[in-house]
Amino acid sequence: MAQKSDFLFDHKASHFFLPWICGLMVFIATLIVAGGVSVHNSLDLWQKGIAESLTIQIPTYNADGSPRNDAVYHDIETTLMITRTTPGVQGAVVLDDEQMQQLMAPWLGPDAVVSQLPLPKLIDVSVDSKNPPSLEQLKQDLTAQVPSAILDSHRIWLAELINFSNALLHLIGFILLLLFATTIITVVYTTKTALTIQEYVLSLVHMLGAKDWFIMHKYAWHHFKSALGGSLIGFILALPIILGITLFLRAVSGQIFQSSLSLSQWILLLFIPLATAFLAFLTTFHTVWKFLRKFL
Amino acid sequence: MIQKDNLSPFIAEFNGVSLRYHKGPEILKDITFSLSPGSFHFMTGESGAGKTSLLSLLYLHLEPTKGRVHLLGQAVDMMSRATKAQIRRQIGVVFQDYRLLNHLNAFDNVALPLRLAGEKEADIKKHVSELLAWVGLEKQLKSYPEELSGGEQQRIAIARAVIHKPTLLLADEPTGNVDDIMAKRLLHLFLELNKLGTTVVVATHNSGLVQSFHFPQLHLSEGRLKIIPPSGTYSEMASKLFKREEK
Ligand SMILES: Nc1ncnc2c1ncn2[C@@H]1O[C@H](COP(=O)(O)OP(=O)(O)OP(=O)(O)O)[C@@H](O)[C@H]1O
Ligand SMILES: [Mg+2]
Repeated sequence: MAQKSDFLFDHKASHFFLPWICGLMVFIATLIVAGGVSVHNSLDLWQKGIAESLTIQIPTYNADGSPRNDAVYHDIETTLMITRTTPGVQGAVVLDDEQMQQLMAPWLGPDAVVSQLPLPKLIDVSVDSKNPPSLEQLKQDLTAQVPSAILDSHRIWLAELINFSNALLHLIGFILLLLFATTIITVVYTTKTALTIQEYVLSLVHMLGAKDWFIMHKYAWHHFKSALGGSLIGFILALPIILGITLFLRAVSGQIFQSSLSLSQWILLLFIPLATAFLAFLTTFHTVWKFLRKFL
Repeated sequence: MIQKDNLSPFIAEFNGVSLRYHKGPEILKDITFSLSPGSFHFMTGESGAGKTSLLSLLYLHLEPTKGRVHLLGQAVDMMSRATKAQIRRQIGVVFQDYRLLNHLNAFDNVALPLRLAGEKEADIKKHVSELLAWVGLEKQLKSYPEELSGGEQQRIAIARAVIHKPTLLLADEPTGNVDDIMAKRLLHLFLELNKLGTTVVVATHNSGLVQSFHFPQLHLSEGRLKIIPPSGTYSEMASKLFKREEK
């Protein structure tokens, strides 16, 4: 005997594809959104890193080991002049021996006499994080006028990565847009197909005097539950993959790639299956309404 | 506001009703008649005469192209959708093509009107089992329509139409698939219901049936309706039930 509240639904018909389609779409959407969110997170992290400050080294010894003496001071003067006139740079200072000592303490111990070591001079450049200087330009200017200066190349590489990731993020956004459109269309059509198969039930129940509201409500709720079931399964299946990718990236890239998601971002992900089920609900509600309007 | 001419003392009342499908010819032409509460009519006419079409007007599946239909006292064209649903719940229909739900077994098919009315499961179980036993299907409670013969399906369709003791029972060729003995037995079921106050219209090709039960006929021919008084001698019962008011 059918369940008391189940008599309206031909389970063979509607239970077949709606949850599967929803599950599949949610699975793909969850993976892509998670990917987009982690690229976004990494981008934030990199931008912070690049925004803070950058360092320029001026060697105090030549390659053959002979001291550079006055040339060092000339190079420092020129470097300071170039950096301070570069747009986006807020200030540039030469680290003194005491600061160098603090910087080196973890490696050389607190008692090392920095001035007696063949360390390069370091120029700390503070940067306007809202309007960062063009590192490419700075590098060109320095190479032309102070060939010995070494600009932190890690930052240049990072800047390129940021540009690339920004482009990637736009691409992901575009794919997501397409995916959302596809999901909406697929869920809408799957729901409608499921209802087409049920039309003989709908029209009979209507003939037997069931109110429109009752039928719409029952069917919408029924499809909501079946879509939610499928969607949650798709979502849950996507989780180990996201977790696996996170662990893999952490292993190969250390802190460079910020692939783990924050709590609010997980909640955003959970929104995908819920929204999909809600979409099935709305579509059913509307389709049943339109179908019933064909009758007196 | 309900206007005075929106009300009717009859279970059903047709005034100058015509019907055409889309842009086709008029299937029903200028039909005027009424069904008094507690009356019993056969509906006759050759195949394609428009019996099912006329019944469709009565069970609110179609609207007339011209004229006016009153059902259970109210004008159909003035009814809200909610009212129509409420009126449908008081009408039992045996469809010519049964329209059983294939995903439900015999019991659940018959229980459908009661479940839609929100009756208690215990009551449903009792009434449905009793009625299915009455139509000789006590052993087929759990069978699905596809596992049943045409005659058995027809009896389920009949049981579904009468289970909620409707005010108006419309049966479209309800005995087309059963033998004469079962046909009479089913007609007696309708009579029982009729005695309890249900107004009954039975569309049928079975002239033997029409002959042996002395009820008036709504006869359709070339789109027009003619009312034929009970055949043979006027039995007491028939004369009592034949309460058509002339317009
Ligand atoms: N949905 C429809 N669209 C167009 N024409 C229809 C439709 N339904 C019925 N007809 C036409 O209306 C006419 C009457 O059909 P109807 O089904 O009412 O006849 P009937 O008296 O019930 O016949 P039968 O005894 O064979 O059941 C027929 O000519 C049929 O072709
Ligand atoms: Mg017919």
